[in-house]
Amino acid sequence: MTKNEVFKIWVEQHTERLLKRAIYLLSDKGDAQDVVQEVFLSAFSSYESFEGKSQPLTWLMTILNRKVADFYRKKYKSEPQIRLDHFFDETGSWKNNDVLNDWNVSNKETELLDNNDFNKTLEDCIEDLPSRWMIPVKMYYLQEKKAPEVSQELNISTTNLWKILQRSRMQLRECLEFNWFTKQE
Amino acid sequence: MVAKIIHLIFLPCSEATLLMEKRNAGNISSKENRKLSMHLKICKWCRAYKEKLEILDEILKRKLFNEEKSKIHDSEIQDFKEKMIKKLDI
Repeated sequence: MTKNEVFKIWVEQHTERLLKRAIYLLSDKGDAQDVVQEVFLSAFSSYESFEGKSQPLTWLMTILNRKVADFYRKKYKSEPQIRLDHFFDETGSWKNNDVLNDWNVSNKETELLDNNDFNKTLEDCIEDLPSRWMIPVKMYYLQEKKAPEVSQELNISTTNLWKILQRSRMQLRECLEFNWFTKQE
Repeated sequence: MVAKIIHLIFLPCSEATLLMEKRNAGNISSKENRKLSMHLKICKWCRAYKEKLEILDEILKRKLFNEEKSKIHDSEIQDFKEKMIKKLDI
């Protein structure tokens, strides 16, 4: 097969998965399309280095991760400033007691995720995170929590990646607390 | 009150919750780990948060891998394919 024929097949077969991964990571359809276009262009020009050592989709996904990281680095040039004063007072102690509320969900995470209303609430809470935090959080989970790799790719310090994870999760916890758990009582 | 002072001297909650992230990812030093364990023994807020964090982590692990839900129409995917073929000039 010629390179052109290969790429016709790849575009046909892999576009959907790539676009979905990109939309998932970037939360923006337009940005996702731009990034996937770059993935194909970059794959086309470096096809000679592919050599069929991995599955085509795996290779394209690797390029996608890199392009998403490029996108993030270009968009957010400076290190993020993460503030926690919404949650902690000046001594670093919790400002509110709502964290003590009982969620009553021991080992029932899957049940929660089977609940459509909970899923909707969770999705809304996730989408409320600024994309500057959301992209690293998602990449962190996609890459199975390899924090040093993720922070290197995104060009943020590992300390700031921890802070982003911390801050994001504090916000998610609070969002679920008010929009789901306290409403269930 | 005593607990509050210990918080301040050893490890404030704002720091303890950061160390939880490091521990969760398996990137915590043994010194940090000891400090965190000490803190959790005396702080019911952080204990409660830690439990919720574990639930949240489990939920996110399952949830965030589910990208099939990305909202895009088949027609948009089709348009993209056609544009891509033209762009690659193949």
